[in-house]
Amino acid sequence: MDLCSNWMDAASQHRAEPTIHMVPLPLVSVLKIAAEYEHAGRYDDAAELLRTILEAVPNQRDALHLLGVLAFRKNDPLAAMRLMEQAIAQGASPALFWRNLCTLYERTGRYKEAMAAGRRAIELDPGDAQAQHNLGIAYYRLLRIDDAVACARRAISIDPTLAVAHFALAEALLVQGEFAAGWEEYEWRFQIPDAGAPMPNTDRPQWDGAPIANGRLLLIADQGFGDVIQFSRYIPWVRERCPDLVLACGGEMLSLLQHNFPWLPLTNRLEPSGHFSAFCPLSGLPRLHGTRLETIPATPRSIYAVPDRVADWKRRLDVLSPGPKRRVGIVWAGRANPPNRSVSLSMLAPTAMPDGLVLVALQKGPAQREIAGYHGRAPLINLGPEIADFSDTAAIIESLELVVTIDTAVAHLAASMGKPVWIMLPYAADWRWLLGRCDSPWYPTARLFRQETPGQWEPVVARVAEALSRMSAAFPACSGIETSCGSRCA
Amino acid sequence: MIARAVQAHTAGELQLAERLSLGLLEIMPTQCDALRVLYEIRKSNGPPNAAETLLRRLIAVDPNDFKATCELALSLMNSGGLAEAELHARNAVRMAPENAQAHNLMGMILTEAHKPHFGEYHYRRALHLSGGRDPILMANLAWNLKNQGRMEQARQLYVDSTALAPNVWQTLLGWVRLEEADRQFDQAAAILDHAEKQFPDCAKLLLARAVLLRRTGNFEQALAALDQIARLSSDGALDADELLEKAALLDRLGRYDEAFSAIEDANHLARRALGHDYLAEPAQGLATRLKGFFTAERLRNLPRAGILAAPQPIFVLGFPRSGTTLVEQMLSAHPRISAGDELPFIEEITAVMPRMFSSPLAYPEALAELWMADFRDGLDDLRDHYLRRFRQLNLMERDTAWFTDKMPLNETHLGLIALMFPGAPLIHVLRHPLDVVLSVFGNNLTHGFFCAYRLETAARHYVLIMDLVEHYRREMALRYLPVRYEDIVDDPESSVRRMLDFIGEPFDERCLQFHENRRFARTASYAQVTEKLYARSRFRYRHYLTQLEPIVPILRPIIERLGYGPV
Repeated sequence: MDLCSNWMDAASQHRAEPTIHMVPLPLVSVLKIAAEYEHAGRYDDAAELLRTILEAVPNQRDALHLLGVLAFRKNDPLAAMRLMEQAIAQGASPALFWRNLCTLYERTGRYKEAMAAGRRAIELDPGDAQAQHNLGIAYYRLLRIDDAVACARRAISIDPTLAVAHFALAEALLVQGEFAAGWEEYEWRFQIPDAGAPMPNTDRPQWDGAPIANGRLLLIADQGFGDVIQFSRYIPWVRERCPDLVLACGGEMLSLLQHNFPWLPLTNRLEPSGHFSAFCPLSGLPRLHGTRLETIPATPRSIYAVPDRVADWKRRLDVLSPGPKRRVGIVWAGRANPPNRSVSLSMLAPTAMPDGLVLVALQKGPAQREIAGYHGRAPLINLGPEIADFSDTAAIIESLELVVTIDTAVAHLAASMGKPVWIMLPYAADWRWLLGRCDSPWYPTARLFRQETPGQWEPVVARVAEALSRMSAAFPACSGIETSCGSRCA
Repeated sequence: MIARAVQAHTAGELQLAERLSLGLLEIMPTQCDALRVLYEIRKSNGPPNAAETLLRRLIAVDPNDFKATCELALSLMNSGGLAEAELHARNAVRMAPENAQAHNLMGMILTEAHKPHFGEYHYRRALHLSGGRDPILMANLAWNLKNQGRMEQARQLYVDSTALAPNVWQTLLGWVRLEEADRQFDQAAAILDHAEKQFPDCAKLLLARAVLLRRTGNFEQALAALDQIARLSSDGALDADELLEKAALLDRLGRYDEAFSAIEDANHLARRALGHDYLAEPAQGLATRLKGFFTAERLRNLPRAGILAAPQPIFVLGFPRSGTTLVEQMLSAHPRISAGDELPFIEEITAVMPRMFSSPLAYPEALAELWMADFRDGLDDLRDHYLRRFRQLNLMERDTAWFTDKMPLNETHLGLIALMFPGAPLIHVLRHPLDVVLSVFGNNLTHGFFCAYRLETAARHYVLIMDLVEHYRREMALRYLPVRYEDIVDDPESSVRRMLDFIGEPFDERCLQFHENRRFARTASYAQVTEKLYARSRFRYRHYLTQLEPIVPILRPIIERLGYGPV
């Protein structure tokens, strides 16, 4: 008979008033159990234990800290930040608390506070590689790129296997145009925990860029759709070295890539891609190609829409916005990661839009719902519900004069099609938009509108609106759009 | 027993007649004479619903009971149930196609149901059947023509009618209202002077006097006319219409608390008299079914009607009292746009669609027939039905390319409209929700499942409809333009330019002189749209914040979503 059975037997004899025996446990043991729950993904159980602790010992530092971690896991960084601050306020906090707080400040856009917290963490534990990395991220958000590079290098020197630090170093190098070193560090992206593994489970090697005369190369459309569009420009270069190619990509990209690379076998699953000699992610091609800032293969147009679909969508748009209207495509939100790149529709479409403009929403995903609450001056056509894949999006873009978007796949698509595209970027933009430029060596028709202060979208939107007004005044509808930004950054 | 009941009723012994009839109906529930006696009693002193129920029982027993059919149609018309009234009036015509009364009934109902052109046919038929010179039918036809904006023809008919029967107060009242609507205030006053001499104590004429005085800016005198009505009434009180007129006057005089109190009293009386209250469940049920059917996924697989070169509708959408009449008046001053006014055809199509598609389902589910091979072009049929019905109205002016349809709450069927007319401009007139609900409450409106009789139900229905519009906008690609009433008042030219640009027509100065547009608008807004734009209707709710407090929480989310500032 074990203890559990004894308790059940006793309980069954006293059903009316079961006796609950309270067994005191040391606080540290309860915290340990809560931490184990957290590791096991049992967040609610962990939180219940921690709240029990806090009822008994209000403001217990470790319980507050762990509760903050749980809030972060449950995608509530603001609550997590408040709990972490409360934990630290109890005094004598270990470096870990400050390290975590650094991340939480960074996630909530409080970059200067993140920097201070990160520095404090390192003061307390200079040998903490993760803290060095966290501080580096905060520096990156503030565009203190040299400091970010230094932090990443310190983190790597402490722990050479810390993949996130290598990736952060890659981004910091690439954003400065230091492509040679940047591409090498960029290869660490697949080692990042929880980053997902786009690679097939195979004993075949990753391609090294050397010609494959008698063998098939499996290309993998990895990362986001924007990356696929951006790096698809390298496919012809690969074909010159490996004539026997197959590309695995998401279903949303199939039709568009098939049209643009009609000779290329495509699959939207890795398993049926058959025998191959080597594989390579598309995002690894710039490194193999040896791309440098001055050798970026940028053509005026690398992607074409499917003509039948263009005709269908043109008819649809001509019905929904007939006449000589200036049709401007808009996208205001992307996926949650990377953070801070999305705006709200109410912010993007201010009431002071110039007359004669028709906004065509290319937005997909949850943010599409914002359209219901749009009551701005310019008519807005919600095409999202009718867009099935990127072939549709490309076909619609063909009928637009301009696309105004945040940094998302549509930006890459419109720019790859040689369409004028105005891209609104956060203060610390993704590496591919480089630093301080209002143009892009990747895309001749792109014009970049950068935040001048972290988190401040209003001035960016105001500059876009002003540029739209200038465009409306300078060019009648359908007569072409200014794509260059002159010497001054917008 | 039935003979005794009839005898008692004839002799005015109503309690005995009622007791005998009820006793007989206990034993013989379908005894027609007992039902008739009881109906007559309920009609004179019972709630209107009870009398209507008895008429329905009579018709169920004898579907060819012409008198009961006509009585029921008339009763339903008077209580605002126009759609059902029309069904019974049509039955009356089927039963007696040569009967002038049946055609007169059809004429009245169709005139009230915003189908005056069809009503005109039945009035003329009734006139023909009755020898062509019946003064009452002539007056009815005159009222019908006035509703079509054919003022001169209507005026002549009133002249002819009063020549035959000079002292019918209803005829004189109709004539006064014609002149008042046509802004011939002196002429209206002269007819009213004459009528009041004949009928000095007629409350309806006094009410017309009050309206005329208000329109000519004599608010205190108008109030005095209403006081006179109250003194003359048996209970010293005003009826619902009179109270609403009083509320309008008090509002103009800045006596807002009294104005709101009068509106509340008016709605209380209207609810009691007509037996109506908000039909919350049917309203919610319809909204739920519409949302369930019109989803992005389903819409991807539904066809759209083709676009014809023929004149196309411009749908001016909005909750009642949002400013749709003003927008239509502005747009229809454009040489390329005809005014269609409130066209009942979208609602009509939702009713006839299942029959047209041979569907066992109701609207909107009946649209699923569009997936069947034999109804793939069903939306073309619906479109053609709408356009054919419009053509029958002869409202299209020469050289115009567009016509407006400003039926309030058409936005309920935005999904259907966009399927039938994928290229039609949808102009949604928005106004501060508190102004809309206040104004709806202050006008005797039967739209929207009878929501207007209570402030709270008006607010709830407003939320329901706006929520539905948001659903359509999320799920569909629409040619949709929101326009704010307040912006139109602030900057009419900019708003008109924006709307015309959206429609695809060049700007025309005449649209800004809309108050000179001689076209008559039939709706509650007709007086306002003949005046230049005024700012007093903008944010009028601020005078009634205390009274509106209970509905602020209901409307707040939409107020915020529409971008109006905090209340």
